[in-house]
Amino acid sequence: MANAAKRFEVIPGQPRPQIAFTEVTLQLGGKTIIENLSLGVRAGEFLCVVGASGCGKTTALRLAAGLYQPTSGRVDFDGQLMLHPRREIAIVFQDYGKALLPWRTAAGNVSLALEAGGMPSAERPARIEELLRTVGLPGHAGKYPAEMSGGMQQRLQIARCLAQEPKTLLMDEPFGALDAMTRQGLQDEVLALVAASGATVIFVTHDLDEAIYLGDRVIGLLPHPGRIGIELAVNLPRPRDQLSTREHPEFLRLRRQLFDFIKATEQ
Amino acid sequence: MTTDQAKEKGKALILPLAVLLAFEAWARATHLQSDSLAPPSEIILALAGAFADFSILTATRDTLFSAFAGLAIGTVIGLALGIAFGISDTLNRLMEVTVEAIRPIPSIALLPIALIALGFGYRMEIVIVAFACVWPILILSRAAVRSIEPRLMEVSRALRLPAAQRVWKIIIPAALPRIFVAFRLSAGIALIVAVTVEIAINPLGLGAGIMLAQQALRPDLMLAYLVWIGVIGYALNILLVVAQHRLFGRAALSGDSA
Amino acid sequence: MNRHATIWLWRAASFAVAASFIALWQLIANLKLVSPVFLPGPDRAWASLVRGFSNGDLWSKLAGTLEHMAYGWLAASIAGIAIGAIIGSSRIMRTYVAPSLEFLRPLPVSAIIPVAIAMLGLTQAMALFVIAFGAIWPIMLATIHGFAAVEPRLYEVARSLQMSRLAVIFKVALPSASPDILAGMRLSLTVALILSVVCEILAGLDGLGHWVLLSARAFRSADLFAGVILLGVTGYVTSVAMSMAEHRLLAWQASQR
Repeated sequence: MANAAKRFEVIPGQPRPQIAFTEVTLQLGGKTIIENLSLGVRAGEFLCVVGASGCGKTTALRLAAGLYQPTSGRVDFDGQLMLHPRREIAIVFQDYGKALLPWRTAAGNVSLALEAGGMPSAERPARIEELLRTVGLPGHAGKYPAEMSGGMQQRLQIARCLAQEPKTLLMDEPFGALDAMTRQGLQDEVLALVAASGATVIFVTHDLDEAIYLGDRVIGLLPHPGRIGIELAVNLPRPRDQLSTREHPEFLRLRRQLFDFIKATEQ
Repeated sequence: MTTDQAKEKGKALILPLAVLLAFEAWARATHLQSDSLAPPSEIILALAGAFADFSILTATRDTLFSAFAGLAIGTVIGLALGIAFGISDTLNRLMEVTVEAIRPIPSIALLPIALIALGFGYRMEIVIVAFACVWPILILSRAAVRSIEPRLMEVSRALRLPAAQRVWKIIIPAALPRIFVAFRLSAGIALIVAVTVEIAINPLGLGAGIMLAQQALRPDLMLAYLVWIGVIGYALNILLVVAQHRLFGRAALSGDSA
Repeated sequence: MNRHATIWLWRAASFAVAASFIALWQLIANLKLVSPVFLPGPDRAWASLVRGFSNGDLWSKLAGTLEHMAYGWLAASIAGIAIGAIIGSSRIMRTYVAPSLEFLRPLPVSAIIPVAIAMLGLTQAMALFVIAFGAIWPIMLATIHGFAAVEPRLYEVARSLQMSRLAVIFKVALPSASPDILAGMRLSLTVALILSVVCEILAGLDGLGHWVLLSARAFRSADLFAGVILLGVTGYVTSVAMSMAEHRLLAWQASQR
């Protein structure tokens, strides 16, 4: 695992990372939330971020989204300094109930992203239908979010994010509030969607199994202040499968390693 | 109060003070001659004068007397009906059309009727204020009684309390916090209606005072009355909010949206 | 089906009760328990209504009142929502301006009438100013509250979609605040009707307020009651119309609980 221990650095001749954190420190209200974080995410990579609560994983995601600006250091996207959120970066919030417009139907919520992208209104309905079908919500276009289950609402949020045609998809514990069955189904769907679109993903979760199951690479953060504590490459075959992948010896080894790390940080 | 809160309050005062000062400066610079405006300094002097000759105090007494008398009558009627409708669903359903037919009549429309039946004076004003106060009290106390924990009603039935005692010992105390919210709303309405009746037609109280000042082309006195009416409205509201806090704690404020 | 039948039965019974009150009123009037100078029977009030409408008198009075009310209320709605949106969407304005507005809220708005008369005279403009001034408060304060209470997550969604400021206001903040705004507009409707009547009484403007006052002065009690009934109907119809509009516009809320 020579690869796993290596920190990000710009190596001449190597492809430029799509998202690059360079010595990022963030202070909020006098507290250092994140300290000296350096990290590169390749285009098309699926990066999972885990860590105990208070380790700043959600904050790191918000920095990647451009919703926060670092106190020092820099965040770059495609080689450009990130000064504000941009449409190529979509973010799936954990609290889907708050992130959807309750006064718009499912179709209307997807439409919001298309409107923001300036798509002519005549082209929208076909695209909306296609997106809703992609996330498994055909026939629910006319429903309001409140009429949908939690899993459906999260699918809807993902559909809206896909409508942005993002280069990067940021996901903040997207399945944290869902039951186990729904969660597994959505994991596989996200993997399929990402494989089809080729988007880069940063996926924050507190579920270690989920992180290994989904990711190409898993980063474990240490809390107070947040910084990288462990970095693991996940060399499991794709496509992944809920049964065989989770029984793979490599999966179990990584799981053990990550578990020990988290346990150590909590002491 | 923390320093942050004090700062917030300080910031809240900047705008009104700035407006007053700017207005004063503008009035002095232009030697303002107007039938409708007067600089703040003159308004304060006029207010002091109205206090000195007791005219504004008499007017305040008259307005508050009418407002409170109407409020008291309206509260008693509204509460009686509200509790009755809250307890008896049958009665409530039977009276629905009647209530919904009378309620939308704007209180001020009763003014001419009260005028020919009762003439000028306290009585007609009190009747109109009472009419205006009945409805919020009725609607909110009905809702309050309906939302009483059913277990509590079962207890009263198990104890075989007579109806009158059930109302006094169970229903009113249980519904009191929300009834008080209704009372607070109605108190504000009572003051507004009293002043409005006086402005429109009734020659007494603060409303008549402000109209007289306007007709006498005394903008300073007119605005002094306006300020004073605002102070009374504000003070009444604060007083009742504080009373509500003291009596029922924060929980009662949740009924505010009703 | 059964439930529907029960509802209609209750409704019918309730109408019967209301009808019996009217019958009681008729009885009191017929027996002259109250002087007919003050209290006409429902028959006479009805006759006056019919006469008023057939000769067009009441139509024009009703139109006058509705006009005052509508113009004042619409002006208040537009200004109230615009000002409320500006104040509500800015932290600075909320800190410096909103407390002053909250302070003015308990002021009995009718007290502004003499000031308006001093400035504008006993005119239509005075009436519209007073009605709009009175009706703006509930709308403006509700809008400020609604804008301040928009879910912060939605603003983040808007930011990550790089929506323009205008788009954020029209697509996120306004719809989110709409339940508050509509509730404020409903409250203002009542205020507008009351102030219309008061201004008509004071300034002698063409409308139901002036009509009931003239009828009272001339002791034409049947006309007076006809006017008051019509004002009640106006209050009722406008509030029902507002409820229907709210129901339609806020259909999405029905599914929320």
